[in-house]
Amino acid sequence: MNTIIQNILVFTTMGFAVLFLLKKYFGKKPKSKKACGGDDGCGCH
Amino acid sequence: MSKQINVALIGNPNTGKTSVFNALTGLNQKVGNYPGITVEKKEGVCKLPRGVKAHIIDLPGTYSLNASSLDENVVIELLLNKNDKDYPDVAVVVSDVENLKRNLLIFTQIKDLEIPTILAINMSDRMKYKGISLDIDYLEEQLQTKIALISTRKNDGIDRLKELIANYRDLSVSACLDPSEIDKPYFDALRKAFPNQLIYKLWLVITQDVNFGKTDRKEIDAIASFKTKTSGDLKRLQQRETIKRYQFINNVLKKGKTIDVTQAKDLRAKLDKVLTHKVWGYLIFFFILLLIFQAIYDWSSVPMDFIDETFAALSEWVKNTLPSGAFTNLLAEGIIAGLGGIVIFIPQIAFLFLFISVLEESGYMSRVVFLMDNIMKRFGLSGKSVVPLISGTACAIPAIMATRNIESWKERLITILVTPFTTCSARLPVYLIIISLVIPEGRFLGLSYQALTLMLLYLLGFVSAVVSAYILNKILKIKSKSFFVVEMPNYKLPLFKNVALTVIEKTKSFVFGAGKIILAISIILWFLASYGPGDNFNKAEDIVTKANVSNNLSDEALQQKIASHKLKHSFIGIAGHAIEPAIRPLGYDWKIGIAIVSSFAAREVFVGTLATIYSVGNDDEDTIKNRMAKETNPVLGGPLFTLASGISLLLFYAFAMQCMSTLAIVKRETNSWKWPVYQLVIMTAIAYITALIAFQLLK
Repeated sequence: MNTIIQNILVFTTMGFAVLFLLKKYFGKKPKSKKACGGDDGCGCH
Repeated sequence: MSKQINVALIGNPNTGKTSVFNALTGLNQKVGNYPGITVEKKEGVCKLPRGVKAHIIDLPGTYSLNASSLDENVVIELLLNKNDKDYPDVAVVVSDVENLKRNLLIFTQIKDLEIPTILAINMSDRMKYKGISLDIDYLEEQLQTKIALISTRKNDGIDRLKELIANYRDLSVSACLDPSEIDKPYFDALRKAFPNQLIYKLWLVITQDVNFGKTDRKEIDAIASFKTKTSGDLKRLQQRETIKRYQFINNVLKKGKTIDVTQAKDLRAKLDKVLTHKVWGYLIFFFILLLIFQAIYDWSSVPMDFIDETFAALSEWVKNTLPSGAFTNLLAEGIIAGLGGIVIFIPQIAFLFLFISVLEESGYMSRVVFLMDNIMKRFGLSGKSVVPLISGTACAIPAIMATRNIESWKERLITILVTPFTTCSARLPVYLIIISLVIPEGRFLGLSYQALTLMLLYLLGFVSAVVSAYILNKILKIKSKSFFVVEMPNYKLPLFKNVALTVIEKTKSFVFGAGKIILAISIILWFLASYGPGDNFNKAEDIVTKANVSNNLSDEALQQKIASHKLKHSFIGIAGHAIEPAIRPLGYDWKIGIAIVSSFAAREVFVGTLATIYSVGNDDEDTIKNRMAKETNPVLGGPLFTLASGISLLLFYAFAMQCMSTLAIVKRETNSWKWPVYQLVIMTAIAYITALIAFQLLK
């Protein structure tokens, strides 16, 4: 029983870690209207 | 119910605007991840008298509303867009008492936009040293505003400033300059074509190259009854506007500000003579760098040892206390070991930022910028490139964003491309752990070899950046104009509050920004190192026990062999062995290879990765450094981390573009994938070749 619970916790933690990294590097970020970057259409370029 | 008002802090660079922001907001501020200089907006909340709350925005430093760089555009865009949620109810123009004339230019421009404006005259404590006296009543009358004479150093006048902000509705919004004085026929025609618009705002819309939302230049050009002038004519009118404004300011200050030179006790000129001297200036800067790196090593050894031992003990405690099983192992070997690999570097990072902050606060950093301009221009860079290059010691991302104030596109592009060579704080953990393993602890002229090595690596980063800039300057065929203006602030004792806030902010962003990534990667690596496919992994105990049946191994040695066998056949072991042929010529084993690959997300992950892998492959609870020192080279025998492999690794990390976030920001700032791809390929090639040469020569 203890082994099953420990394994469930490990796989859940692993899932959260993978999701976090995927979201961090491949997730879409909301564009800030205030930003003045190269491609945000702020008209400064 | 309390009301919240928007307050914009505006002013020339180096007027102490950020100190005023800190004095008003204290710890109630949201500071971006951008050390060194203000590029993006900083926001905070301040409680004012009578329950009024103020949302304070610290805008980038700018000399006027005639923008010449990207960060100055932020100020103009906000002030001209009433629909912006941050549009100020009141503007506070922070000026420096010694440079009031120049500081008042932007004050008069903002006043003419009919925004309630307060003049905060900072550094009032310096008035007695400079023999300056101000007739505040006269200035308030002439400038039609309220003035707060403040000293953020002495914390004087801040309450008066808060009182004035709370009573902003009492401020006059009448203009300082009638635009018709610039060119009557032109402004009369403008007024006639747009009877309901504020003329000075229209004038800024016409003359500035920024986006103003609904009122843009096309709309103005579309009006048949009004024709804008040619750009040459507009420039001449802008010059005439500036002259008119200075005439007004001169008249006001003639009576409002007096300087008694006999009272002045000026040390600045004498110090400048030495600190910007063409020989002494460089020697002093070099000596200061030496002191900083020595202090980083000497002062942080005790807290670092304490943290290292605490994490080792915590890991052991978790293993002994919690029920044994996979999750307990994940906590002890994955999470705690991985986090320990980053927390251990907090003391050194905090000390580094402490020194950088003190140098900036004291006014010395501006002298370094001035000094370096002589060198920079020979390599195709601007004096302003020094700021990103120095900021790059914290993180390349804000440093690359800080290039926005470089007017020449060619110089800006070159600075963006070479900044990742400077030693960022993410490299620091890698350098520190490798140096402590392969560089002896002896001293030379009182300076430790380890501190000297660290300083050499910082210098190597800077020299690589400058040499690359020289090459790029020759290769890139882009024509653009360049000029350099640097503000020389007064020397002052650093404010403890400002220094402390900088150190806390930078350390926090390092730990929490990188910490989350490191934690996630540590968990995944532990998983990949603890599970594997096939019988070689699943029946490791049987295989190893059978193979060693005649060797009479102790139980401990047998367990060690089983752990090692499992690691070799785990998912990570299989992947590591696949890439080993490519990295073996550099003196690395497959574990280092995995650490290099995983640290592509962020360099500091390298140490956390090794800590996790070595934890899984070793049953002893030991410090990270000791575990690494015990590793043996599978091919050559002997310790894995020798002088040859250590220097090879140091050089690899000095040159490699191991940072996904930096590549993303380069793409954003250059609006092209071409430049980040060049950076990645060229920097990785340089890193590989130099590491290869170093190992082959030293082994």
